[in-house]
Amino acid sequence: MIAIETNQLRKSYGAHQVVKGIDLVIEKGEVFGFLGRNGAGKSTFINMLTGIIRPTSGTFSLLGVHGSVEKVKKRVGVMPDYSTFYESLTAFDHLKFLSALSGKPTGKQHCMAVLRSVGLDEHAHVKTSKFSFGMKKKLGIAQAIIHDPELIFLDEPTSGLDAESVLHIHKLIRDLKERGKTIFMTSHNLDEVEKVCTRIAIMKEGKVGKIGTMEELRTFYRSTLTVTVKHSPMSKGDQHTMMEWLQSVGTDVSAADSQVTLTLDHEKKIAEVIRAFNQKKIDVYRVSVDEPSLEEIFLEE
Amino acid sequence: MFVISKREFFSLFKSIKSIIIIAILLATAYYSSKFSNALTNLVDFTADEMNYVHTIGLLSLLLLFGQLFVLGLSHDCINRETHERTMRFLVTRTSRLSILFGKFLGIVLFWTVCVTISFLIISIFARQFDFFSFFQVMSLLIYQISLTILLSTIIPKPGITMFLGILLGIAFPIFGMWITFTSNEWVSWLKYITPFYYLEHDNYLFLIINLLAAFLLFISAAIFTRREF
Repeated sequence: MIAIETNQLRKSYGAHQVVKGIDLVIEKGEVFGFLGRNGAGKSTFINMLTGIIRPTSGTFSLLGVHGSVEKVKKRVGVMPDYSTFYESLTAFDHLKFLSALSGKPTGKQHCMAVLRSVGLDEHAHVKTSKFSFGMKKKLGIAQAIIHDPELIFLDEPTSGLDAESVLHIHKLIRDLKERGKTIFMTSHNLDEVEKVCTRIAIMKEGKVGKIGTMEELRTFYRSTLTVTVKHSPMSKGDQHTMMEWLQSVGTDVSAADSQVTLTLDHEKKIAEVIRAFNQKKIDVYRVSVDEPSLEEIFLEE
Repeated sequence: MFVISKREFFSLFKSIKSIIIIAILLATAYYSSKFSNALTNLVDFTADEMNYVHTIGLLSLLLLFGQLFVLGLSHDCINRETHERTMRFLVTRTSRLSILFGKFLGIVLFWTVCVTISFLIISIFARQFDFFSFFQVMSLLIYQISLTILLSTIIPKPGITMFLGILLGIAFPIFGMWITFTSNEWVSWLKYITPFYYLEHDNYLFLIINLLAAFLLFISAAIFTRREF
């Protein structure tokens, strides 16, 4: 089942086009990562899907409902990019109020469980005026999931959080995925997206580039692998023969201190390389393969 | 809608401004009806005059300062949430019309409680509950609340609505009274869009004030549903 589908979704402010016709299909149960630099249009895209702003043109559907966000609001959780709260209310009061507003008033136990899941249970009864930026971020996530929505939008959920809190939130996202929730998140943190997302899209200047799993993106952006083989010492004759052979299967071949590095165009050739070492009775101690990181792909995009 | 109206209703009781306004209302109701009671022993009022003598103090207070009171308390009921971006939590959870009408209902409930208590105080002295005046006062307040919501929807900054609220709160009753009684043809038609003209008549014409209020709310809703946060 499709959770999010957009068709040529656009947003303009006067002559300036922020989102330039995005077509996207996200299946239910996915954790979809939306990457992009500042001003790429990620938040504008989320704001259109969640009813905060209106698209200039194009259509979209959420959870199979076309045309109107109103009909699915109670099934959707949103953490906006900029979270401010009612300063006179505590974190607990916020969850009580916002869950009631979503039509699913929750009890004390559920509110506390959600606050615990984001690491805020000890501050449940503290007014949000005393909250730090990081605590507000956590409360932003808590309010997005308090009414147990099927589809969750998280706009930069971990920016500004300490390392421990980031791990906490990553675990929460994985738990939500296991419970069958669909998560659409934006991030600047490439490492985070790589760790928690099942599919990734890179947005640049209002347009979406390649969409796919991490593996698909790697395959698309780089068709070569850099392989390093650490081996037992070999004679000069063997070394000469091996170098000649390696140059025939790969490129950029270099050798130093019982270590050979070369570039291959297909992962199947790694097996051929290891077999060649074995045939020469040379022990292979370690084989490392460098794949393009998301950072490299992002920069390339 | 009811979750928002409940929150709006209770939050109105929490400010020092609302406590002062409630105190002014109750004190006016108490002392004007007490004074009227004493006056009825000294002056021979007609039957018609006797109907109004106890409520005239409260009615005058709300005619002159009602708009100022309502604007003072609720000038930022919509734009505060827009300005501080808490509106994003609301618009992603419920319909925009529910937010607008929820706010309206909460403010109306607050004033209904205040006015009802004031009329109950008056009824102790008058030995009757003047339903006609009560509904006149409520119609006036509903108009003033709708105008306040319209201002708060149109103007995005709470600081500006606070400033305009004071200006409008003072100028509106003066201007409204003037155009009700002026013979100047160029401006006298404006009396039909203010509540004062309808309150001047001792009949059910005041119900038209509610239609004007509905029109103001309709404009607010049309703007609010198109607004981006």
